[in-house]
Amino acid sequence: MVEVRGLTKRFGPVVAVEDLSLAVAEGEILALLGPSGCGKTTVLRIVAGLERPDAGRVLLAGRDATEWPPEKREVGLVFQSYALFPHLTVGANVAYGLRFRRGDRKRRVRELLDLVGLAGYERRKPHQLSAGQQQRVALARALAPEPRILLLDEPLSALDAALRKELRGELRALLKRIGMTALYVTHDQEEALALADRVAVMRDGRLEQVAPPAELYQRPRTPFAASFLGRANLWPGRVVSVDGDRAIVEVAGERIPAERGEALEGDEVLLFFRPEWVEVGEGPLAAEIESADYLGDRWELRARFRGRSLVVLTQEERRPAGSLRFSIRLARAVQHD
Amino acid sequence: MAGPPRQLTGRGAAGAALALLPLLFLGVAFFWPLWDVLRLGLQVDGRWTGERLLAALSDPYVRRLILFTVEQAALSALLSLGLGFPLGWFLTRYRFPGRGLLRAFTIVPFVLPSITVALGFVLFFGRSGHLNRLLMGLFGLGEPPIRVLYTLWAVVLAHAFYNAPVVARFVNSAWERADPTLVEAARALGAGRFRAFATVTLPLLLPTVLSALALVFVLCTLSFSIPLALGGARYATVEVGVYLYARGVVASFPRAAALALLTLGLSLALTYLHLWGGGTFSARQGGVRTAPTVPLLSRERPGRALWLLYLIPAAIVFLGPIGAVVADSFLHPAPGGAAPTLHWYRMIASPAWNPFIESSPLAAVRTSLLVGGGATGLALVLGLSVSAVLRRVRSRILETILMAPLAVSSVVVGLALLLAFRRSPLSALGGEWAIVLAHTLIVYPFVVRAIRPLWDALDPALPEAARTLGASPFAAFRTVTLPLLGSGVLAAGAFAFALSLGEMTAVAMLSGPGVMTMPMAIYHFLGSRDFGAASAMATVLMATTALAAWAWDRAGSRWLSRTGAPAGFRRLPDSAEPVERVASGFMPNHTAVRRLRKVVADRLRRYGEPIHSTTDPVPASAADKHRRTHG
Repeated sequence: MVEVRGLTKRFGPVVAVEDLSLAVAEGEILALLGPSGCGKTTVLRIVAGLERPDAGRVLLAGRDATEWPPEKREVGLVFQSYALFPHLTVGANVAYGLRFRRGDRKRRVRELLDLVGLAGYERRKPHQLSAGQQQRVALARALAPEPRILLLDEPLSALDAALRKELRGELRALLKRIGMTALYVTHDQEEALALADRVAVMRDGRLEQVAPPAELYQRPRTPFAASFLGRANLWPGRVVSVDGDRAIVEVAGERIPAERGEALEGDEVLLFFRPEWVEVGEGPLAAEIESADYLGDRWELRARFRGRSLVVLTQEERRPAGSLRFSIRLARAVQHD
Repeated sequence: MAGPPRQLTGRGAAGAALALLPLLFLGVAFFWPLWDVLRLGLQVDGRWTGERLLAALSDPYVRRLILFTVEQAALSALLSLGLGFPLGWFLTRYRFPGRGLLRAFTIVPFVLPSITVALGFVLFFGRSGHLNRLLMGLFGLGEPPIRVLYTLWAVVLAHAFYNAPVVARFVNSAWERADPTLVEAARALGAGRFRAFATVTLPLLLPTVLSALALVFVLCTLSFSIPLALGGARYATVEVGVYLYARGVVASFPRAAALALLTLGLSLALTYLHLWGGGTFSARQGGVRTAPTVPLLSRERPGRALWLLYLIPAAIVFLGPIGAVVADSFLHPAPGGAAPTLHWYRMIASPAWNPFIESSPLAAVRTSLLVGGGATGLALVLGLSVSAVLRRVRSRILETILMAPLAVSSVVVGLALLLAFRRSPLSALGGEWAIVLAHTLIVYPFVVRAIRPLWDALDPALPEAARTLGASPFAAFRTVTLPLLGSGVLAAGAFAFALSLGEMTAVAMLSGPGVMTMPMAIYHFLGSRDFGAASAMATVLMATTALAAWAWDRAGSRWLSRTGAPAGFRRLPDSAEPVERVASGFMPNHTAVRRLRKVVADRLRRYGEPIHSTTDPVPASAADKHRRTHG
């Protein structure tokens, strides 16, 4: 298990990470998700020992590793740029981490190249490989010394969209097959949801929420988490009554049922619902359509409901004008920041 | 991803230990000896006083030294410009067979040992030199028509020989960077060919010209072997004066130290001056495209043949002296004309004691190679560790301390070590070690200047990746950083070797019976009118140096020939241009200088050229300039 406690890191006046605590369980893939510049890479570099925290601790397998140099930590790091050694062959790159260890290196290199689907590429130089192949070599190199955790820094961001989708499935399958613990830094929410067991949303150096993908998508705890993980409607309103898990939120005079979350009666909250949670055609509510974008498999409508903007998805063709009747199938009260 | 500076976990102790090695070395081999010079020059009976300096300054001989130094340097700079500017123009504008070769030749003087040039001048321009013999034969003269040797003009002409190609290289590379669109715009606005040149091209080149002038002035002020060999005690520079007082017949160490302090002040002032005049300008971003070249020889423009009026005398001045050295090394003078012989080469391969050089010629060759090898090795280690320290600890004070030998002329380094080797702990080492240390001190700043831009351009993720894969900091350096810096380190080493081989100033101060190098042996052979032996040794020296310089240029230009950044580098390292890399070695980095540079930069803005900010704490060489525009 890998854990960080109370990490803080400043670069001059800029606070990159602030009082951040996080634990990755054995065999778990945890995605660290956030916009660029939110400090997620810094967390990764601190875990790898490439950056020293101003405060806080790094625990590897229960031992305080904060002061350990990178080479003693037994972590594998896959860089965004792959950082393959250009003067070494693929085989030598993969073997690099093994030269400081005992064992049959040749066999291990073959094993790993097999694992990432690059058997027979030992003698090539990195620049002779495609970007996707380079990415696989970087992965094999990081895995070769059997690290206790694999750290991945936007490993797919340099690839084109189609390859990225393909590889993220493969990557997850591979990590699960060998039972590798992984901390995966990305700014791509789709990637995080598809790949991780749990997703940690970061903003301005702090954690917003850590949860499994489905829970995070359906029950975000903050407006930032709600809007960072996909499209979200967030309407200011007030909780007028509470009944167990349920609550009634009043928005612009309409009373809309929602999941209560952590809201209490009388709270000013945001009514959160995803575009696909809106039932279009029939319903008690009416909005004015402002635009309709054709997305291929469906339409995205932007509308206005009593001064609030509304995004919905529907299968039916709509003209970008006129009125729209709708109901909200599922919604949730989210506390303001 | 842009962001805060990347840095491995800042282990203060490791950084301090790393800095300790070069500091310790510089302390023992440089600062302590320099302190001795200071004390000798400024202390009388343990009391600090300016007496010795004032006494030196009121000595008419010393005054003449100073005046002569400035006079010859100024004349040399102007003559170098006069000879070099047309060559730079010629190289930029015209296309002709052998252009590449001619360009490559412009690098030669920078590494050609100056004593071989002095020898060439004696052999070619001397009273009974080749030129006089040729002219006497052609015109049936009874008297040699050219008498420049042992005058001011011999020194100035030799300096111009040395530095005109440097000016040409500066002008050439600036001209190639100048955007031809500007000239086209001027022509389209109605300016004639000459007017466009005078109002557009010339102002664009002016900064470079100033820069080159300043550099040549500095180099000639600190020149040693040429005034020593061609001017003698009568036409001596301050540098030569230090030598004469320290090693001459009437040796006086205190007076030598006082003069050394004068030249130290002079060289410091000049380095600032050079920066003011040049550092800012030399490598500004150029235009989008380069001007096309035109063929030199074409039927439509027979007027271009007029270039021969410049080229033929230039070729005589440049090739004559070198040719004379090589020719005389294979000739045996005889009454009825010279006969080809290998006698001189057999002589310099002889292990027999020669009274003029107080050593055997073969031993001199061996000492040169050993000293060159030792100094190169030490300079590489020192240069790499200084680079490593300065990358880690970005402190101007530390940088000034670690690069301090750059601001001290070779003769002062020589005097300091001469004094230091007379007492412990250094007196325990042999005399060759004094020369090795001196050369290390003279050469390593160039190594730093050559390696740092490369190192800074290296992707920091590579050594980091090595660390996470289990490599210790040193293992990561050895297996990843060093191989990737490879050709840069090789180039720096070759250059260091060439520089050490040809260096004579420090050697003159430090050589003695049994401790003799090739340049110093040439000087002694020259003094004993033993021209054949001098020529043979000079030919060997030139060949060895040229080989090292070639290796240096090759390894260095590997960076130039690529279009993008080489694998492992985030961008193309700047200043692969060897001359500028050398030139950049003369530019230290101080706040005052930076302030001056800003003033100059402001003044230059009216030329409409972008000048990049100089707030970066990294050294301010012409070369580093491009880098600033990248992140």
